[in-house]
Amino acid sequence: MDFLVNWLANVPGFAVPFALAALGLIVCEKSGVLNLGAEGYMLAGAMAGAGAMLSLDVHPLVALGIAALFSALLSLLFALLVITLRVNQVISGLVIVFFAQGLTALIATSQGWTNRSFSGLGELNFGPLSTLPVVGRIFFQQDIVVYLTVLVFAVTVHVLRATHVGMRLRAVGENPEAADAAGIPVGLYRLGAVVVGCMLIGLAGGYLTVAVSKIWVDGMSGGRGWIAIALVIFARWQPWSALAGAVIFGCIEALIPRMAAIGLQLPQYFVLMLPYVVTLGVMVWTSLSASRHSGQPGALGQPFVREERR
Amino acid sequence: MGMTRLSSTLAWGLALSVVPAVIHAEPFKLEGDPNPALVIFSQKNDGGWSQSLDEARAKVEKELGITIPVVENVPENATAIRPAVELFIDRGSNIIIGSAFGYSDTFLELAKQYPNVAFINPAGTTNAANLQSIYGRTYESQYLCGMAAGALSKSGKIGFVAANPFGLVNWTVNAYALGAQKINPDATVTVVFTGAWNDPVKERAATEALIEQGIDVVGQHVDSPTPQIVAQEKGVYGTGHHRDLSEFSTATQCSSVWVWDKYLTPTIQKIAAGEWETSPYGAFLSIKEGGTDIACCGDAVSEDVKKQIMDERQAIIDGKQVYAGPLSDRDGKERVKEGEVLSDADLWGMDWYVKGVISQQ
Repeated sequence: MDFLVNWLANVPGFAVPFALAALGLIVCEKSGVLNLGAEGYMLAGAMAGAGAMLSLDVHPLVALGIAALFSALLSLLFALLVITLRVNQVISGLVIVFFAQGLTALIATSQGWTNRSFSGLGELNFGPLSTLPVVGRIFFQQDIVVYLTVLVFAVTVHVLRATHVGMRLRAVGENPEAADAAGIPVGLYRLGAVVVGCMLIGLAGGYLTVAVSKIWVDGMSGGRGWIAIALVIFARWQPWSALAGAVIFGCIEALIPRMAAIGLQLPQYFVLMLPYVVTLGVMVWTSLSASRHSGQPGALGQPFVREERR
Repeated sequence: MGMTRLSSTLAWGLALSVVPAVIHAEPFKLEGDPNPALVIFSQKNDGGWSQSLDEARAKVEKELGITIPVVENVPENATAIRPAVELFIDRGSNIIIGSAFGYSDTFLELAKQYPNVAFINPAGTTNAANLQSIYGRTYESQYLCGMAAGALSKSGKIGFVAANPFGLVNWTVNAYALGAQKINPDATVTVVFTGAWNDPVKERAATEALIEQGIDVVGQHVDSPTPQIVAQEKGVYGTGHHRDLSEFSTATQCSSVWVWDKYLTPTIQKIAAGEWETSPYGAFLSIKEGGTDIACCGDAVSEDVKKQIMDERQAIIDGKQVYAGPLSDRDGKERVKEGEVLSDADLWGMDWYVKGVISQQ
């Protein structure tokens, strides 16, 4: 029972980075811009969050804001490449990853942020609720971002589904020519989607350092951005499915060290492989399942040039 | 063309793998005064492995009255290593000190190409007349840290966060358990492998999971100090690796540390004097030879225990073996016979755990 409570209580901390990053990717890709740079934006956010905690001595929530802003700043470079200059989106996304790896290592080293711990974001206290057996630990002893994540998802879903802005954004992603003919500024919508999406991914990275590890080391996103990309495909660009996927991954990540700590006899490398096997599995399932509609935006990955024939 | 290219590559590869065992006939001769340079694969202030090398560099500079230039962030591939090393050689360096397993092959090629330059590569695997790979017998220092852990643990349940289960990690885990059991024969060591050398998120999760299971001291063989920081947060003790991690956490009571300067200073002097002879199997350094040692102990370790640890350290310097027989693994299979000592080859291939080690697999 203790095992179950400890396990489940630790799931949100692991799920939040996946969830926010996946949501950011969905926002970006709904506008038709393929974003493979998630790993890079997470690193940027993680470094900026840790740096803000260490050098500016700000409140953890402010540090998370700085993480999101720094990632947004980096995304302007990506937007310049893929929207203005219409460079191949796959290549540009990968370039951002390598650029961010170098940039974050350079900044963190020159500022002396590497390997320095800070207090970070603490858990909320709901008084008597937090001390309830079982549910108290799981639902009422989490940090504020866990609850905000659910709110952010609800708001994003609402905006995408039921507002003019959201519908235009999706139109730009499905058929930019038609959207253009209808008078929607395609480039502007794509820019907005890239910046907002990358802010969310940067927030996911910031959460990794500010709330989870409370320390920065080079390259610490550790492939989580790539898993978020797979999550988006698995979720067919549906935010709530992405949240569910993130929770599944959070369950696995929280379970792995706990199985080892009780000495459960399972092959080490098999267990470490689990998240990736699940990723592969769901991708195969997605492509084989009865519904042929993958949910992928129609113009994903295609630069928009007015009047150009496809 | 493709085939010819392939076969010539193979022939070259075979030649390389055979040569080091053959040539170590005469000592290496250095031209001019020793002029070392250090090439680091990651950032030099990484808080662990690389920083220990950079700190050793500063000590060697002081002891020998020389300046040792250093370059950091040279990735582990030939296209990055070669220009960095050749630039140093062009500028007059005649002793090149590396820092990584991934430098092994390129250093061997460079050693062939520059027979008048001496190469030393910590964590490397290749050797030649002018190339020596070095590593520390970290099981000696981790055994001593294990003693501290055994004394500090009230529950007798000790945790250990490690990267990947293979020889040089497994020997620290086993030695840690043997050290703990020297103080408390019933002590257990539960080890969680994170599968990564430097992932603070996984290290934190592993440490928290161990503490949830009731462990009250946590040892480590990963690169970041995260387990020590979590130990401090949760009010348990810890022991570190690579460097004295009490710098990062008040929980840290003992650390297995690298003391490369104790090897590098006399070795550079030997190279200068023309007395340097490399071993075809690499230099595997004990506490006595410099390479590994302990930073001990924190205030939580009693004077009595501290004395026991330091006595044991002296015994190891005087020849006591951590992996002396009779020694069986946790399944009861005899691994070292009475009166024998585990061979170096068996150490590098260690894939078993002693009694009291709890792990997956």
